[in-house]
Amino acid sequence: MRRPMVWVAGIAIIVGVAGAAWLADNRQVEMLLPFLRRDATWQAIQQRGVWRVGLDPSFPPFEMLDAEGTPIGFDVALAQALAESWGVRVEIVAVGFDSLPDALKAGRIDSIISAYPFDERLTQDFLFSAPYFDAGLRIGVHAGSTIRELTDLSGLRVGVEWGSQGDLIGRRLQQDGMNISVQPFDAPNELIAALIKSQSVDAIFVDNVSLRQAQVAGLPISAVGEPLESIPYVIVTPRRAHELHRQVEASLQQLIVSGELANMETRWFGAELGEELSQ
Amino acid sequence: MLFAALAVIALGVWSMRWERPGVTLGPQQSVETTNPKAGVHTRLTDEVEEWKIKRTLEMVREMGAPWVVEYFPWAYVESEPGRYNWTHSDQVINHAHQQGLTVIARLGFAPQWARPKDTTPLYLDEERFVDFGGFAAKFVERYRGKVNYVIIWNEPNLALEWGYAKPDAIKYTEMLRVVYPMIKAAAPEVQVLAGALAPTLAPPGSEFGVNDLVFLQEMYNAGAADYFDILAIHSYGWHFDPDSPSDPEVVNFRRTELLRAIMVENGDGHKPAMITEGGWNDHPRWTRAVRPAQRIAYTLRAYEIALEEWDWLDALCLWVFRFPWDQNSYQDYFTFVRTDFEPKPIYLEVQQSMRK
Repeated sequence: MRRPMVWVAGIAIIVGVAGAAWLADNRQVEMLLPFLRRDATWQAIQQRGVWRVGLDPSFPPFEMLDAEGTPIGFDVALAQALAESWGVRVEIVAVGFDSLPDALKAGRIDSIISAYPFDERLTQDFLFSAPYFDAGLRIGVHAGSTIRELTDLSGLRVGVEWGSQGDLIGRRLQQDGMNISVQPFDAPNELIAALIKSQSVDAIFVDNVSLRQAQVAGLPISAVGEPLESIPYVIVTPRRAHELHRQVEASLQQLIVSGELANMETRWFGAELGEELSQ
Repeated sequence: MLFAALAVIALGVWSMRWERPGVTLGPQQSVETTNPKAGVHTRLTDEVEEWKIKRTLEMVREMGAPWVVEYFPWAYVESEPGRYNWTHSDQVINHAHQQGLTVIARLGFAPQWARPKDTTPLYLDEERFVDFGGFAAKFVERYRGKVNYVIIWNEPNLALEWGYAKPDAIKYTEMLRVVYPMIKAAAPEVQVLAGALAPTLAPPGSEFGVNDLVFLQEMYNAGAADYFDILAIHSYGWHFDPDSPSDPEVVNFRRTELLRAIMVENGDGHKPAMITEGGWNDHPRWTRAVRPAQRIAYTLRAYEIALEEWDWLDALCLWVFRFPWDQNSYQDYFTFVRTDFEPKPIYLEVQQSMRK
């Protein structure tokens, strides 16, 4: 039994040494790299001419259905712009939010663009793009306010959405000894109205989606200080889809630099909340 | 010499074993509350650390909820026939008892030895009901004086919860017929809860489940009335407020009243009911969720309805107090307390309402 094992070990060593010598020539490495880094997802997108993007169309202004049942929204526009830059077409696949990772893992879709927050616990299965939006909690103040950061709120009235993360953080700050009066409101539009219209509060803890909607609608509201909580929305691709991930990152950066991403945000965030408060 | 040194070290380690400070039960507590029907479903099944079990139950008491529903999987306790490991369930029951909480124990989840190969732990053949009854009897015997309520299985009207077999009210009633007398023989004072049906509008013939109203009537038709003392009800509000009227075509909080009506129609009006799961969710994305402010208002109102309107209801236990770790799904938005034990605003609001 020992002799065959010796032969196998010997052959393995010879093959290993020969392989290493062959790879020592950089040109050979370059020849091999495309094979080693082959991205089946990217190749399939190229062959199909279609990028299958999964989203849950129930979260305006990021994704929703129009009167004809067609998916529209910020994320849909983003997917279309990225696909256009690669010369392919987008196919939107509607998937329940909680099922999106499974759909990606199973190969039903090529990517997720669905106001999907970065989740480090999923990094062993997926690649995440740089954030294209941060939906986290901000300190909102009336434009022209002298408040610049969290510590400036001492002794002031802070509005929060009752029961929300902002409420939790407001109560936590009080618990930690910060002298603020936390005033609850039932919904984000009431919260913003309290700041802008009735001025019954000096600042608000508000999610960045509601804040940006108000700003795009032309309301005099500013975000100050560091975010109280960050919720970065990212584009998700399969772990082995290196080339697709690289293409997403490159095209996303182009959209940011060219200002097209900001234009999309303005186009899709000028929704009901701002109109309601402008009246 | 070396052996002597090793022996001394071993002895030292052994003696330290007894000196290591552990989690103590602490003094006997009682729940101070304005609502003796208030409760929550805890989720300590997979909570490994004892101090977290204790802290969870302390926080339930401090919120002012006297009732807890907790799950005790049969497979965790009796992984081999006749060999029982009560370590974890002892911790949960003893800490709950010390906090002055009334435990409603949910029993189910069959061990591998009790079910056919390639079935899920939620599947059980009729000939194995007696084994499940044996476990239930051992359970109530062990916790006599500490656990007076047990729920037999969970949501048997869903294929998922019935081992992916077709939900069958007759088979579930047979389970009750076998298990009920075994529990009563071991501890006659223990109240047996049945049902715990999932509220669903599943159409006839659905592969996913059977409408809960239909299933309950089928249970009565099969003779279930003789084999339970209290009806366990699951009452989720989805996006409806708790005062939305009951309607057989709608899943809302007052669907509870329709189940109660079926009890009364079948001559079971003398028995109480308990809501052992229910409530609202404030996930920002889930289509059945409400805003956080609505969740608080609806929850407070639901506890009020249970106390003031439904004299046939003994307890309202809402899903779910806390998870041991984030579920990373809409389920996290049912909780009252974060995984790190920081109370959510809803916890503080309920606590305040229970102190008035």
